[in-house]
Amino acid sequence: MIKLWVLIAGIALSSSSAADYPSTYDPPPHAAFVLTHAIVDVGEGQGEFEGWVSVADGKIVGIGMMDDARPDDVLEINAGGRWLTPGVIDVHSHLGDYPSPGYRAHSDGNEATSPVTAEVWAEHSVWPQDPQFPLALKGGVTTLQVLPGSANLFGGRSVVLKNIWSRTVQGMKFPGAPYGLKMACGENPKRVYGSRSQSPSTRMGNFAGYRKAWIDAQEYQRKWVRFEKALGEYELWRTSNDGETDYKEPPSPPKRNLQMETLVGVLKGEILVHNHCYRADEMAQIIDLSREFGYQVTAFHHAVEAYKIGDLLAANNVCAAMWADWWQFKLESFDGIKENVAMVQAAGACAIVHSDSARGIQRLNQEAAKAMAAGQRLGLSVDATVALTWITRNAARALGIADQTGTLAVGKMADMVLWSHPPMSVYARAETVFIDGVRRLDRAAELAPVTDFELGQREEVF
Amino acid sequence: MKRVLLVMGLLGVTSLSAEELLIKNVRLVETSFQSGKVSDLRIVDGIITQIGADLVASAGTAVFDGEARAVTPGFIDSGTTIGLAEVQGLGVSRDGEQVDDDMTAGFQVYLALNEDSSLIPIATNDGITRGLIVPGAGDSNYAGQSALVRFKQGPTFLNEETMAQHLYLREGDRRRAGGSRSSALAAALEALEESARYDKQRRAFNTNRNRSFDLDESDLVALSAVRRGEMPLVVQVDRAADIIKVVTAFRSYPDLRLILASAAEAWKVAPLLSEENIPVLINVMENLPQNFDRLGARLDQATLLADAGVTFAFLSGSPYSETRSLGQAAGVAVAQGLSWQQAIAAITSVPAAIWGLAGLGRIERGAIADLVIWDGDPLEVTSAPLAVLIDGEWVDLETRQSALANRYVELLNLK
Repeated sequence: MIKLWVLIAGIALSSSSAADYPSTYDPPPHAAFVLTHAIVDVGEGQGEFEGWVSVADGKIVGIGMMDDARPDDVLEINAGGRWLTPGVIDVHSHLGDYPSPGYRAHSDGNEATSPVTAEVWAEHSVWPQDPQFPLALKGGVTTLQVLPGSANLFGGRSVVLKNIWSRTVQGMKFPGAPYGLKMACGENPKRVYGSRSQSPSTRMGNFAGYRKAWIDAQEYQRKWVRFEKALGEYELWRTSNDGETDYKEPPSPPKRNLQMETLVGVLKGEILVHNHCYRADEMAQIIDLSREFGYQVTAFHHAVEAYKIGDLLAANNVCAAMWADWWQFKLESFDGIKENVAMVQAAGACAIVHSDSARGIQRLNQEAAKAMAAGQRLGLSVDATVALTWITRNAARALGIADQTGTLAVGKMADMVLWSHPPMSVYARAETVFIDGVRRLDRAAELAPVTDFELGQREEVF
Repeated sequence: MKRVLLVMGLLGVTSLSAEELLIKNVRLVETSFQSGKVSDLRIVDGIITQIGADLVASAGTAVFDGEARAVTPGFIDSGTTIGLAEVQGLGVSRDGEQVDDDMTAGFQVYLALNEDSSLIPIATNDGITRGLIVPGAGDSNYAGQSALVRFKQGPTFLNEETMAQHLYLREGDRRRAGGSRSSALAAALEALEESARYDKQRRAFNTNRNRSFDLDESDLVALSAVRRGEMPLVVQVDRAADIIKVVTAFRSYPDLRLILASAAEAWKVAPLLSEENIPVLINVMENLPQNFDRLGARLDQATLLADAGVTFAFLSGSPYSETRSLGQAAGVAVAQGLSWQQAIAAITSVPAAIWGLAGLGRIERGAIADLVIWDGDPLEVTSAPLAVLIDGEWVDLETRQSALANRYVELLNLK
């Protein structure tokens, strides 16, 4: 009887199978240290101060101004007046899924075979030897979300990675980070499927496709609720009868459906929705869609028109992840403006600067700086410390990991970047990058990861 | 908005078309944006006629006070596509390459340019005043001829109809000529040979006595100009081994002016390029090993080229909307070890020299008044032009983008 119970419990759990693909990331031990004489911006948008940060066992254990007492029994690293910030976080990347070299044989970012592919997981495409990972590290990126592409209405699950060299993607997975679901508005789904004379071929076709899938997900969720109820009743019967009276079969679980599991994960609030959506009017419609089915959109990505609806985003608690100045490369990006990010910030909404690019991810700080300066020229009150939150704290929030990283705070992961210049300067280079307290980049010490692909055929650059 | 108001406010008292203009108190930058003398510039009919302290305005002269801000020559982009597509992703709006023809050396982008494109003032806002508009490889390795433009909307947009011939010989380009690098290079050389035969038999050709050429006359004329050095040849090539072969192969044409572009691995063969005085056009921020030709791609390529004495200029590439901006690229090059002065030169005086643009790229007596007055360090991502002059005339920095920003700032009451 006990055996049967275990079996049933196992079946019930398998409706969410994330536990089957666990992170094996285990940061190596490091000596405790205190980084002193740094210009520290903790990433809360509250300015900077000259101070110290102490780190032990991968975590920040103390932060103070230079006048405050600091641990004196650990290794001291003198930052020499350089700038210390939280590690940069990119909420929109395809590293590993669209690696370099970018041949067809390597192109694993978009399962563009059906408008609904919520069943695919980006992590199953990630090539950990992609040389773009170390390049991003040289831009101070410590954490990134790898998303499926945008050909589909539902592209699949994302994965959040620590930017470390590893033999396996499991070794990069951010422990405990929630999954994301990639959804896409607008031109891409309708173009990809419309060109095959298949639905969707219009924006209204896109919406019909979203709604149909969510209706299916609700039905699937109900099936499992019914099963779990029946299972509970069966257990109640079993324990109260002690197996003495007439025998009853336990209810059999519904067949698992990977596509539906992901969508139900959203409906349960366990999986975060990252919705590729350029146009303001479409974002507003997606917010209605989320209300119809009772889920929360975590962030709109590529939201080039977010500035038109900053109030709506703020009221609905949706982040906008944006480029600083990309526009014009497609019709739905034609109204892109440099002031976008700062205007979203000014409207009180959650603003994020993202890359969607293996080039852009190397300088998210510069992109944030551009957006900040454009806002300042428009007369908005955004400064460097606020701009920093666009690539640190706010990004962590959108990934559901803000309790662990994204700012420098006691108890959080020691994910930190030491910059050569103020981080909002084009001249700023990430000189030393710590991930969970471990130095992963140190230019002065000529320490940087080299992928297998690069080994023996590409010169190391520090 | 503020920038424009500043300029327009000052101009309000005088006329936009004043033939004489006095720019007071601008810093002629040297080794950084804060170094160099603060001077006055007198501009008459679009030309800088006097540089010095305390220049006095003659009656009726418009005066602009630069308040000791940095001034640079307008940036020169050595390769972009503005004016060839309103929306890059919309095939029907794109005119940048010729397809359905396996030889398009005769293709000229200037005939397709949109002088009213809404993209033009956006480039001006990045401090760019001139640039080469470059054809993409359509179905031919010889893609055709680039044009020179001024980044100012209207009839003066086109500056020079034809500037250079563009040949694509990167990894993916070999499919257009026999499927091998060997056949692609051979076809490129054979076309030059045919242009030489054509030159010898022009009279026969023109009198209809000999028309036995594989190529169209427009291609033959274009390639002839390349062979004779009347028009430079820009070869897009990345791999070090290919660069050596290209340099070696084109040596047979002593008058041909070879320029390399893209050139991810140029730094590996820098001594050769330096010795043969072959200029290189690079996109600083393209450091990905996207294919096996680009294994050597690196962010500090400009520094390595500079150290080896190679002449180089920066280009922003295509689409402009994703690779902007030139100033940022130069700033990144400085962060990677290039001197500030050399970085500025790579987007001003050096491209002016490479393209033979007399009077551009420098601020000196007799130079064309393409000037940008900056609100900070011209290479900083946080900086922007306060005012831009092209041919001595103020450029309106208002864009469709600023109109959108203003509309929604008001609508959402953001200030």
